[in-house]
Amino acid sequence: MTIRTPRLPHPGALVALGLAALAALSFGALVGAAETRAGAFALDPYLRRVLVFALTQALLSTALSVGFGAALALALARRRFPGRDLVLAGLGAAAVMPAIVVVFCVVAVYGRSGWLAAGLDALGSSARPNPFGWTGILIAHVFLNAALAARVFLDALARVPAEHWRLAAILGFGPLATLRHLDWPILKSELPGLAGLVFLLCFTSFAIVLTLGGGPGKATLEVAIFEALKVDLDFARAAVLAGLQLAICLSLTLSLHWAVTRAPVAPTQSLPVARPDAADPRLRRLDLAVLALGAALFAPLLAATLTGAAALPRVLDADLAYAAGVSVAIALVSAGLACALALALAGAAQAARSRRRPGVAAAYDLLPALVLAIPPFALTAGLFLALRGLVSPTQAGFLLLPLVNAIGALPFAYRFLAPALATTQERYGRLAALLGLTGRARLAIVDWPTLRRPFAGAFALAAALSFGDFGIVALFGGGALRTLPYLLYERLGSYRLDEAAAIGLILVATAFLLSALAARTARC
Amino acid sequence: MKHATLPAAALVLAAAGFATPAAAQDAPTLRVYTYSSFVGRYGPGEAIEARFEARCGCNLEWVTADDAGSLLGRLRLEGEHSPADVVLGLDMNLAEQARALGLFAPHGADTSGLDLPIAWEDEVFLPFDWGYLAFVYDETRLSEPPATLEALFTDPDGPTVVLQDARTSAPGFGLLLWSEAVFGDGFPEAWAALSPRVVTFTNGWSEAYGLFLEGEADMVLSYATSPAYHRAVEGEEKYHAAEFAEGHYLHVEIAAATRTSDEPELARDFLAFMLSDGFQSLIPEGNWMYPAAMPDAGLPESFEGLITPDEAFLFDPARVAAERRALLDAWLEATSR
Repeated sequence: MTIRTPRLPHPGALVALGLAALAALSFGALVGAAETRAGAFALDPYLRRVLVFALTQALLSTALSVGFGAALALALARRRFPGRDLVLAGLGAAAVMPAIVVVFCVVAVYGRSGWLAAGLDALGSSARPNPFGWTGILIAHVFLNAALAARVFLDALARVPAEHWRLAAILGFGPLATLRHLDWPILKSELPGLAGLVFLLCFTSFAIVLTLGGGPGKATLEVAIFEALKVDLDFARAAVLAGLQLAICLSLTLSLHWAVTRAPVAPTQSLPVARPDAADPRLRRLDLAVLALGAALFAPLLAATLTGAAALPRVLDADLAYAAGVSVAIALVSAGLACALALALAGAAQAARSRRRPGVAAAYDLLPALVLAIPPFALTAGLFLALRGLVSPTQAGFLLLPLVNAIGALPFAYRFLAPALATTQERYGRLAALLGLTGRARLAIVDWPTLRRPFAGAFALAAALSFGDFGIVALFGGGALRTLPYLLYERLGSYRLDEAAAIGLILVATAFLLSALAARTARC
Repeated sequence: MKHATLPAAALVLAAAGFATPAAAQDAPTLRVYTYSSFVGRYGPGEAIEARFEARCGCNLEWVTADDAGSLLGRLRLEGEHSPADVVLGLDMNLAEQARALGLFAPHGADTSGLDLPIAWEDEVFLPFDWGYLAFVYDETRLSEPPATLEALFTDPDGPTVVLQDARTSAPGFGLLLWSEAVFGDGFPEAWAALSPRVVTFTNGWSEAYGLFLEGEADMVLSYATSPAYHRAVEGEEKYHAAEFAEGHYLHVEIAAATRTSDEPELARDFLAFMLSDGFQSLIPEGNWMYPAAMPDAGLPESFEGLITPDEAFLFDPARVAAERRALLDAWLEATSR
């Protein structure tokens, strides 16, 4: 191990500083613009109830999503079947489905007049499903996040070195031994980061919790922040609430990180290998059950987006082409930015780890997910306040939209890229140092071959996520800045539910294609 | 390949974002802020733009935010730097907060031609359309809608409803005010009685109306003019608004010129045009609301047979601003138990 003291700070350190500065700038601008003092604020009974509810639902959603996601990933890793690629692309599309589309799909399937109700009717049952309340929230959250978890876990499982599988076959590992010695260490290494990310997504979930929750008591802090920022224009309260949210998320992700440590990765290249446990008949039945359950959860909700197909011919016009162009441009910029930021941070974490400073490395690992705890609405508003006077509001929108989207996609990109970078470091780090390979040469020769697959996945996911984002467009959209989600809401506001559904279908289909394309790029 | 697409994408963004000011060199530009559905494919915005530009020798540029609340939020963020000349689409409940920004100039318009259920005296804000909040239902699914707001709220066997959250949505807050006008201090109990029949509270009007059309509830909080849309566009006669004996909440959409405008003359011209036939005739079947000044041709056929409440509830904006927090807290207590 060579210990090198770099003269220049690692680019990742600059990224970390930049992100912290952006957050500070935005908070500072909010507090600075506030007319009331932030002290006049108490945790009233309503807010306490919201906190308890938000924590409970986020913990439950996370446990279910991560657990089911792991089971799905293992089943998919063990089985090869026709259409498996489509299943993987479907998971990729599900993971980034816009909240409003998820809400309408859940209602179309599980609603009072939904498919399930129609099925029950046909069977002569008068039972009526009710998706509003815990059921709807959990279905929607598990749909989104189990898909994400399955994709991340599956990627991680592919990193088990080929030697391990040969050894396992020689030693005659049964399914339990395989799980314990091969799969579990890998799953465990992904667990804290992934669970932290899913928890944050559920804890800050806004439209899903509010619309499917059934009552104002079922809300998240994000609703209170939205209210303070957009309705009461009480910037001080918004900043305090956002700070509270940040503190809760920070303490939870920190404890997760300390509870579960990363497993070391063996220094070899992995090759596609037939898993010896695939033949076990009990596992075969289990996997079949898991895959069937997955199909039952994902297939109807994804299929529900197809109801938008009827109105497709009516939305295909110049308006849509323009919005799609803007969406694509913003998605490409923000996905590229998100991947670049994630790589820089992961590189800094790696450098810190090889200098034997695990605390610093953990801080880098935490940062991307923590950024999610800052409400995008507060971040955008704060940055806009800081920018005003320097650029016109339209220009500010064009600057902030890709930036805030990139920051939103950063934790996703990081989950794909950081483990892969850690793998290359542990496998080739010493060799690369011995050969004096650094910087771009190292990236091209050493890291890229391993990184290509997760990079494609991360880029596709980040692009799809940004493609479907509505948060910031709600405030700064319009004029030249019209994206597909903007158009979706515009049609919804003009009674054109069917056209909104058609645009929703386009968004989901794009995510599906991106995901399939990423898988193909990764293979060749 | 990725390296080629990124700069290209950045270029598109830059062109789209920064090219707009260049187009405004020859003629003066009037920037009108409004909510997105007003200028969308089906809104009246485009036709209004063409008609106004034909007479003003200027460029009318629409700048949009998602809804009235976002509009106010954006103005608040922009402050004195706002390039807005006119803001169109706030509602009465936001009027006081908007006024407090100190961004608006007196309209100076003649209000004698206004056709509202109430007298108009505001010197800053001008109404451009109005409507009643009402509960819309599908007669094939609900044959006997309640006759009073009281019955809707308190009858345990009454219809199920989908509502908007009073914190995040203008009609949602409107219903809270409406219930307070009808039930007085007893409004939290009324809400507690209604709660079991509320399928859900959505964050905006669109989501609630969508859920209603999908068949999730018997009634939805919307506007008394909503059935006109279904009749005119879909040829569908089954949707109606229930008329309540106590009277209905009056929703008035307002506009104002900014004090910081570079084109104050043009902004005033636009406000005057707003009350003329050229603008008002586009409102009924463009924004699905009642015009603030009756167009020469009168109301379209699709508006025939809509409910005409005897009583219109309108709330003093100053009082609303002062009591807003207390009302919301009581409402939250009643509905989130």
